[in-house]
Amino acid sequence: MKRVLYERLQAATAAGASAAVVTRLTDGIQTLFDGARWDGDLELVEEQRAGVQRMLVADRSGMLPGAENLFVRSYARPPRLIIVGAAHISQFLAPMAALAGFDVVIVDPRRAFANAERFPGVTLIDAWPDVAFEKLKLDATCAVVTLTHDPKIDDPALIAALGSSVFYIGALGSTRTHAKRVARLTEVGLGDKVARVHAPVGLDLGGRSPREIAVSILAEVVQVRYRGKVK
Amino acid sequence: MSASAIYQEAIKALATAAIGHGTLDAPDGRAFVDNPLCGDSVEMEVTLADGRIATLAHRVRGCLLCNAAASVIGKRAAGASTEEIERVGSAVSEMLEKQAPPPTGWPELDAFVPVHGHRSRYRCVELPFQALLAALRASVDPR
Repeated sequence: MKRVLYERLQAATAAGASAAVVTRLTDGIQTLFDGARWDGDLELVEEQRAGVQRMLVADRSGMLPGAENLFVRSYARPPRLIIVGAAHISQFLAPMAALAGFDVVIVDPRRAFANAERFPGVTLIDAWPDVAFEKLKLDATCAVVTLTHDPKIDDPALIAALGSSVFYIGALGSTRTHAKRVARLTEVGLGDKVARVHAPVGLDLGGRSPREIAVSILAEVVQVRYRGKVK
Repeated sequence: MSASAIYQEAIKALATAAIGHGTLDAPDGRAFVDNPLCGDSVEMEVTLADGRIATLAHRVRGCLLCNAAASVIGKRAAGASTEEIERVGSAVSEMLEKQAPPPTGWPELDAFVPVHGHRSRYRCVELPFQALLAALRASVDPR
């Protein structure tokens, strides 16, 4: 590995970013993806880049599917689940996701809900989502779920998430609620991206209680992490 | 068009106008207040001259009502003393809670009359006034 590439890999992982190194086995030339930029002598086509990103999101290393001689080494940080809304469902989703290996962050500007008594041991940010997201530096290892039921808070979160490379975006609300949401997001110019939002959020497991909805959301996040968008 | 629709249009127009939105280079006083139940927040900055508001600027993160109320402040508050703003703030609360008439000299507040009866929304209208008062009380008059 070239020294400059090694140093960039070190810098990326030290900064808490996920990174992947792709090596062409026939001649050893490489490229580094630090979650945002591609850097190195090896040129990949768009489809290959997408494949590398999928492997990085799933923290998998090995031969790039569909390529003859490209080896991918993933250096992924633990996946992060960013929950917008210190809601009832969040009280179950946060500990479940932590047990499943996610770094969990709850974002809610409503201090009355986002407090340590309701969420012991969880990282809480009592700021507006778009402000909080700038600090969190969303990347391809993040999943974002909006649960406030208030478009005033959910919409800025979705707009910021749609402008990022997060691997999953989910929004709580019925099909009818989601249709209105799609209309609002289309109005601000996100019509071509809004299909990335999983709604109604979660796999259809049939459960209706907050804890069961938390299971279905977590199940969908895990599924998308490994399989990409299914439905 | 129904009466409430007309009011809705007036509120929307005020919120969109965002009169007074921004920041000041050298404020004499500033304050940040938020409503922990809904997340709305108002940051207010003022400069004073002879004990009265010379300039003001606000930044609102909130609902339509909160933005609209801040806009009215942007339009009407210049020239007022702290005591006058105290009176206007009380009059706004009276208007919301008891359908009292809007304070004189602030005709745009008429648009908020239909908020009466929606108790959970009173604070949305009151928040910018509370922020302005807090900024005035925190300020040091340069005289």
